[in-house]
Amino acid sequence: MCAGLAIERRNVPDHLIEKYRLQDRITSRGGAGEQEVHFLFRAKVPLLPVWHERNLDIYIWGNRDDRFSRLPKTGWCRMESIAEGKWEGLRPVQVEIPCSYGLEKGVWFQVVEGLKGILVRDEKARPHVYILTQPASHYYNVMTRHDRMPVFLGRGY
Amino acid sequence: MATSIIGHLDADCFYVSCERVRFPGLKGKPVGVLGNQGACIIAKSYELKAKGVKTGWPIWDAHKLCPEAIYVKRDFYWYEELSRQLVETVRQASPTVEYYSVDELFFDAGPLLKSRGREGISDLQKEILKETGIPVSIGISLSKLLAKLASDSAKPFGIDVAVTEDEIQALLKGKPVGDVTGIARQRRKTLNSRGIFTCDQFVKADRRLIRKLITKNGEDIWWELRGVSVLPIATSRPPHKVVARGGSVGAATADRLRIEAWIIRNIERLTDALEHHGYVCDKLGLMLGYKDGTGSYGTAVLLGPTAYFEHLAPIARELFETGYKTGKKVHYMHLIAERIQFKKDAQTSIFQKEPEKSLTGTANFVNRHTGRFSVRSAATLPLTDIYRDDANEYDICDIYGKTCF
Repeated sequence: MCAGLAIERRNVPDHLIEKYRLQDRITSRGGAGEQEVHFLFRAKVPLLPVWHERNLDIYIWGNRDDRFSRLPKTGWCRMESIAEGKWEGLRPVQVEIPCSYGLEKGVWFQVVEGLKGILVRDEKARPHVYILTQPASHYYNVMTRHDRMPVFLGRGY
Repeated sequence: MATSIIGHLDADCFYVSCERVRFPGLKGKPVGVLGNQGACIIAKSYELKAKGVKTGWPIWDAHKLCPEAIYVKRDFYWYEELSRQLVETVRQASPTVEYYSVDELFFDAGPLLKSRGREGISDLQKEILKETGIPVSIGISLSKLLAKLASDSAKPFGIDVAVTEDEIQALLKGKPVGDVTGIARQRRKTLNSRGIFTCDQFVKADRRLIRKLITKNGEDIWWELRGVSVLPIATSRPPHKVVARGGSVGAATADRLRIEAWIIRNIERLTDALEHHGYVCDKLGLMLGYKDGTGSYGTAVLLGPTAYFEHLAPIARELFETGYKTGKKVHYMHLIAERIQFKKDAQTSIFQKEPEKSLTGTANFVNRHTGRFSVRSAATLPLTDIYRDDANEYDICDIYGKTCF
């Protein structure tokens, strides 16, 4: 899976930081390292950076809290369930989730290009993005102790 | 014995520095590079080291000390690229270079030091950073082992020149004797038992005593630390005694087909290495390490010297059949080619027929043009997951030309 991700601050335009009030999510790992913007599923409002229709924007990450929504109450979408047609009714659109690092069970791992996700819309046509997942490779499983991993753009694990 | 000025160049946290060249966002952050199965840290940044994390640690122990660390998958193909650039940059300054390991070089520093003094060494360090993006530490002294100690004391991104008697004494004073390359745990224990704990005590000890305690090799170390160079800069790699390929097999397995697939994969890697060096071998060993900590090892003498897959693969299979303890989960393995000689010097065996059209040759020819393992034995099909991951194509031992591992 992937419980959070981070992207370098310089890769998030200022207008998005202001529009979505991301200031509180800007953090540092200490030392002289560059600042990052963290997007965690456990955040007060879970959000994800998304490349959609050639624009970088910030969308709601899945559906964590809305019990009355028709959207699946999770932040992740299994590749297998897409193949089985379980999401067909929601008309999912594939999107790219840019990030430099992913977080799994407390372990931060490098993401070379980004992650794959799907975008679906709720009853009010608001976009929600789910991270696509697949069975973990042995490497990923050893590194994070999780049996699912995100679907990577480019080089993965 | 000639007086020489030897430079030792040691890249600072090399694998991490390589990653920072292509991913500058990692600069200044605690970074750990993970080994080929994602379990252990094979390299770390100074920021991670400052948290107390050590190389070789499992990721989960490191995580306890530094939860904000970022872990990166190793990529030896990329590290070799930068390693070769490092060698080329040093060769511009000194044509006499020993490619010691992927991140360490020895070079003849005499002309550079004579003509440009310490500034010349500093300029070389800056030039390397500019050309490769890799920060390095440089030690200059009268022998290889002294130069290596000097570069170690200069880390990170420093220069230490120890050529005068006073400078050498200062370098050796109080330094644990175990810090010297060639003095590992057993030798250190032996020396400690005779009251020799530091490098300065070591060089003051009687030469004959050192020889008696830790052999002729130890005496060479004694000379080197006294500033007498007895280990020359090796500009080409001396011939191997053995060539081995293997390592972890990922998730431990008792599945015979999967184990056999790993054996064939390693035979392909082995024949690739033998062909690269122009070697043949006439003895093959298979070592299997089991998950429960036990292991088995078997060897077979071949019908004649060979490097052909067609000859080695059936022998490896036979070693597996006779040596494998059924039901035990294999954790790692090594295929070892022994009794190595150059193919051009080897006598053809009357008992072993040379394949008319070698599969090895054809596969290697295709793979040279289309990528490593594009053509491989069908026996490796159970390892599709391994071959799917590009990072498994290349390992540290596939970086040729180094005089050390």
